[in-house]
Amino acid sequence: MKRVVIGAHLRREDIEPLAEAIPVRDLFLSGIGVNDDQPLGDRELLLRVAQTRARLLDRATFIAIRYGLAVTNDAESKCGEHAARWHAVLEANRDNVEMTLKVAAATSVARPNRKDFTSGTAYLKALHDATRAATIDPAFRDEVDRTLVPLTVAHRWIPRDNASLECAALVARAKLDEIASVGEAIKRACPNVPFLLSGPWPLEVFADADHE
Amino acid sequence: MTEETEEIALLEMLDHLLDRGVVIAGEAIISIGDVDLLYLGLNIVLANVDAVIRVSNKR
Repeated sequence: MKRVVIGAHLRREDIEPLAEAIPVRDLFLSGIGVNDDQPLGDRELLLRVAQTRARLLDRATFIAIRYGLAVTNDAESKCGEHAARWHAVLEANRDNVEMTLKVAAATSVARPNRKDFTSGTAYLKALHDATRAATIDPAFRDEVDRTLVPLTVAHRWIPRDNASLECAALVARAKLDEIASVGEAIKRACPNVPFLLSGPWPLEVFADADHE
Repeated sequence: MTEETEEIALLEMLDHLLDRGVVIAGEAIISIGDVDLLYLGLNIVLANVDAVIRVSNKR
């Protein structure tokens, strides 16, 4: 039996009985038990993990582990080195969650075609350049900066691909209703800009050391 | 919630599951194929759906 890991939590009671609590130093990983031979790409498993992830967030904020990590008796060796940092992040963000604002790019360049490149490095660089070239409507950005950003604890604009940008926002749970109202106001102010405001999410962007 | 919004909500949820969060080095890359579009219960999803659909139809 292996356990598909969903997140890292401060307390066992934030996990059980929704999922299995797997101790790692002074933290607990949430996990769902599956047979060793079950592929992680299984549709039912994916939906089950997504549902459990949402229910766990209703209980308490946790650090999201990207789907694909499975442990047996090796949770400590796989995650132990991160425990101290995760503990500090969780302590600092007990009352915070993330929201995501995805915005369609107003200007973009075409995604490079892999077949046009003989060098993998050159292809990756072109992909990176195309992602960084996407820009959003300045009026929309101003509206977000004026209305949404002041409600956040922290925020980051992140280029995602050649056709969209994303604003990841760390917000207090107590402000979720206010955030939703601001989203409605942005929709009225910028009716022609396709965007998606979603959440709350566990700590995803703001728990990842690569984004710091 | 409209059907379009429900579909967007599920896709957004799966996108976060598969493409966000802390990456533990050395773990498997997952490929997902046939995923049903079901509403799983996001607390807040606010999409400028009309604009999203207009752009989708142009592509």
